[in-house]
Amino acid sequence: MTDAIALLVAVPIVFALFPIAFGGRWEHMGWGTAALGALVHLGLSLTVAATVLSGGRFTYAVGGYTPPFGIELVGDGVSAVLVVLTSLVTVAVVAYARRAGPHSNTFYSELLVLTAGISGVFVTGDVFNLYVFIEITGLATYALVATGRGPAAALASLKYLLVGTVGASLYLLGVGYLYVATGTLNMADLASQLSSVGYGSPLVLTGFGLIVVGLAVKAALFPLHTWQPGAYAESPDSVTAYISALVSTAAAYALFRIIYAVFTPAFDAAVPFALDALVILASVSVVVGSVLAVLQSDLKRMLAYSSVAQFGLIVAGFAIANATAVTGGLVHLIGHAVMKAGLFVGVGALAGVAGGRTVDDFAGLAERAPLVSAAFAVLAFALVGVPPAIGFAGKWHIVLGAVEGGRWGVALVAVVSTLLTLAYFARVVERMYFRDAPAPAEESVAAAADGGDAELASDGGSDGDGDASGAASDAGAEPETISMTARIIVVGAAVAAVGVGLVATDLIAVFEPVLEVYF
Amino acid sequence: MSAAVAPFVAGLAARATVLASEPSVSLPTADVPTVVPPAAAILAVAIVLPVLSRKLGHALGVLATGGVSLWSLLAPAGAYLDVTFLGFDALLFNVDAFSRLMGVIFGLIGAAAVLYSYSSDASNRQTAFALGYVGTSVGAVFAGDWLTMIFFWELMAVTSTLLVWDYGGEAVRAGFRYAVYHGLGGSLLMAAIVWHYTEVGSFLFSASDGIVAGIPAALAAVGIGVNVGFVGLHTWLPDTYPRPHVAASVFLSVYTTKTGVYGLARAFPDGNLAVAYMGAAMALVGVVYALLQNDMRRLLSYHIQSQVGYMVAGVGVGTALATAGAFAHVFNHILYKALLFMTAGVVISRTGKQSLKYLGGLGRALPVTALAFTAAALSISGFPGFNGFVSKGMITAAAHKEHLDGIFYILLAAGVGTFMSFIKFGYYAFLRESDSTWAIQRSVTGQRVAMLGVATLCVLLGLYPDALFALLPGSTADAHPFTLSHLGEGFLLAALGVVGFALLKTPLSKIGNGIDVDVVIEPATFYGMRGLVRGTTELFAAVDRAVVAAASTALAAAGDPYGAIRGPAVALLGSEGESLQDGGLRATIATSVLLVVVVLAATLVGLL
Repeated sequence: MTDAIALLVAVPIVFALFPIAFGGRWEHMGWGTAALGALVHLGLSLTVAATVLSGGRFTYAVGGYTPPFGIELVGDGVSAVLVVLTSLVTVAVVAYARRAGPHSNTFYSELLVLTAGISGVFVTGDVFNLYVFIEITGLATYALVATGRGPAAALASLKYLLVGTVGASLYLLGVGYLYVATGTLNMADLASQLSSVGYGSPLVLTGFGLIVVGLAVKAALFPLHTWQPGAYAESPDSVTAYISALVSTAAAYALFRIIYAVFTPAFDAAVPFALDALVILASVSVVVGSVLAVLQSDLKRMLAYSSVAQFGLIVAGFAIANATAVTGGLVHLIGHAVMKAGLFVGVGALAGVAGGRTVDDFAGLAERAPLVSAAFAVLAFALVGVPPAIGFAGKWHIVLGAVEGGRWGVALVAVVSTLLTLAYFARVVERMYFRDAPAPAEESVAAAADGGDAELASDGGSDGDGDASGAASDAGAEPETISMTARIIVVGAAVAAVGVGLVATDLIAVFEPVLEVYF
Repeated sequence: MSAAVAPFVAGLAARATVLASEPSVSLPTADVPTVVPPAAAILAVAIVLPVLSRKLGHALGVLATGGVSLWSLLAPAGAYLDVTFLGFDALLFNVDAFSRLMGVIFGLIGAAAVLYSYSSDASNRQTAFALGYVGTSVGAVFAGDWLTMIFFWELMAVTSTLLVWDYGGEAVRAGFRYAVYHGLGGSLLMAAIVWHYTEVGSFLFSASDGIVAGIPAALAAVGIGVNVGFVGLHTWLPDTYPRPHVAASVFLSVYTTKTGVYGLARAFPDGNLAVAYMGAAMALVGVVYALLQNDMRRLLSYHIQSQVGYMVAGVGVGTALATAGAFAHVFNHILYKALLFMTAGVVISRTGKQSLKYLGGLGRALPVTALAFTAAALSISGFPGFNGFVSKGMITAAAHKEHLDGIFYILLAAGVGTFMSFIKFGYYAFLRESDSTWAIQRSVTGQRVAMLGVATLCVLLGLYPDALFALLPGSTADAHPFTLSHLGEGFLLAALGVVGFALLKTPLSKIGNGIDVDVVIEPATFYGMRGLVRGTTELFAAVDRAVVAAASTALAAAGDPYGAIRGPAVALLGSEGESLQDGGLRATIATSVLLVVVVLAATLVGLL
């Protein structure tokens, strides 16, 4: 059943055609198609995972052309876990989008194309093919960001388009240099060819620089992150959840593959500056991203900057170049996707109840939406790195690896970032749990103004002010509640964050055979 | 160790014919029950005593302690009552030459002291505490392992503190200090024992030869040093013992320090030179301070330090003769020191005066007490014919034999000092003419029996040391107390003592109590603690202020980031602050692409 690995890419693309092709005839077929596609994708990714778990790493030559000339797809412990993650996030986001929108056929087509692109990034074993999938991912994401209403979304999309294309082009340029140097595009083949060409060759060095900077743009490391907060903040909630969980993850994964499958630790030994610089860039990203997150009042922007910091930590783990730190980076990559997706869905859902998504809007939310608030708080503390959640397992291994590798600076940065993460989440959790909701008078005005927020009105607030709630009801505010799917997703993400943390050792055992080859 | 006793006793008997001074008595043994540790009997009486009548209670106390003495004498050597205590192997009742001797004398003097308490109007409760103290001490010396020993050791500290506190008044403050010192000492010893356990893997004495050398040994030495009154660690001793009831002082003078000597012998069975020198220093320092005292019990307390110094020196020298001498001195010292505290107690309770300055001419008023005092004073000073002479002579002879001349001469000098201070005591209390005529009640029968009984033992053991030698650990093969040189030494020291006192009598009376290390330790502790507390508090306050200030600044900046950077921006750029609108710092598309290019350029420059 190794065909499943190719179908992971092919099936979503084929499914993506239907809403566009038949959208005119059946207006609401987009969601059904996407849901079916997501489920099929889940089945395929589980098949791939089962194959990897039973038989270990396997490769698949696309179209029967043997590598290094044909395109090679690779299934191993890391890629299998990530494609399963992709499927699960897709299923969850499609389910969430049924209520939250956007309700258009093109949205579902774009989502399926994005799924195909991300799956391709995770399974490909060919650097040019990787570029193709990165571009598919990028184009689908630009379009998805633009589905947000209003000019801000269009501007954010355009910014992302320009910056992202520059990044992707740099990557392609880097691949070109490597091709000139070695005459091959297959990752495994490149690894052996590069060592015979010599790591000191200017072609190889330039190629490395271009590729890493290109992928750093995509992974949104400071100061190349400028597209990311806007893109996250302005797109619809379902899109934000999806791209925050998977798009930068795909780029960071590509960076991992490039560093270890293509350049290998021998390159690090020959040119220590390369990874040293990346460690510094990543560490700066951790600190600055965290500080910028603390400065935000808009929660989606805060979570976006938080991603800048977390990807800094992940890339730092990759760049430290010992097995422990890389394991930590991969664990945090998975954990961050789960936690961030849950947090964005949680912010989207809670913002509906709160009537806004700034930190102050969330005051007293825990009384009005206890379940989702609790799950949000669990996810927040999981991302801070409170044991036994997955956030702890990842950070712990990164810090441990940093200490093993003698990089005390990274260990210090990780600890400081933990404190800053606590700072920006504690702010939110404190308001949710320990502040009273805003005064009813303001509420009724706000409710009348934006026609939402009636959960408050129907509850009568914690003050039990009957007049105010009556006034709000008279104003005709529709009660906005949190959909059941949103609840399930946020709670599920919280449970997963803790559950995966508890089985973190098993997760690491799955990664181990992959890393053993590199170290 | 216990197995060595039987052949040792047999060996003594065999050699008795050869050397005149070899012990000619062998120990009687009998089948005595060993199903309960002896301490249990005493502790049981201590528990029921408060509810009994005074007479019955004290009678039971005398019986229990005297019984323990006899029991210890008769119990065959060996280890009994091996139990599992807190999950470790422990030995509650271990009989060998060391513990037998301690048990015999602890029981014997316990009986005398309970009798003395009864006739000195001690309350039932006080005697109950005292018996608790005796019981725990007996438990400590019969322990066959370090764990049981430290258990009883700590209990001993607790019960003795209670005994001090029971009297109230000044004794409470002194009791606190006593408790703090013994808490520290006990903790150090416990640390040593735990460390010892991790090295050896067993608490049993039989598992190793003394405590593990190195840090555990040092910790144990200092921890036990608090109990025996090492110089510098001794200030609790003269401070505590004069405070409580006169009968309580009799108990206190016996158990804590001697259990300490016993513990030291367990920890350093082969001796230790540093300990030996510390013993010599204690002997000299103690006697110098004793000479300066006017409070009778304070004088006697400094003499405890001095006399225990002899024992510590004996343990430290560590040869068979020195060990035997140290334990002979333990035995003798308990006898005469308890006797001295009894006589001092009688004087204090009859006259109501603590200080020698206000006494005099008591020889006629309290003839029995004066007689007992004379025997005790001659014993402690080491006058030939009294028991102190024998045991002190063994220790000095052992030091001489090992060519530890420093120790030898220091101990002789301390001997002179002892003579002087007891001549002083006797002169001021009993001999000198007094202005006042004492119309006081004489000592009562119980006190007389206790005092004269103990005094008789002092003299008997002084004249016939072989009775004691049979009981001693180590070897008395080289102990020849009555050689001409030893006798001459004894008389010489006595003569020097008389001359010295005659010369120094006037100057001594003009010097105060003397400045002990207290003067340094107490303010140092007080100001040190105060400094530490203030320093910590101030540091915490400073850190707290800094953290609060930083946190509020950070909060303000986070709440209004553009406002926070507007000020510095205006100062730096000189432009109008209003141009910096909220959101104005977000990178434009052009800036973003520029940033990418800059990073790429920097990377490539770095790589190439």
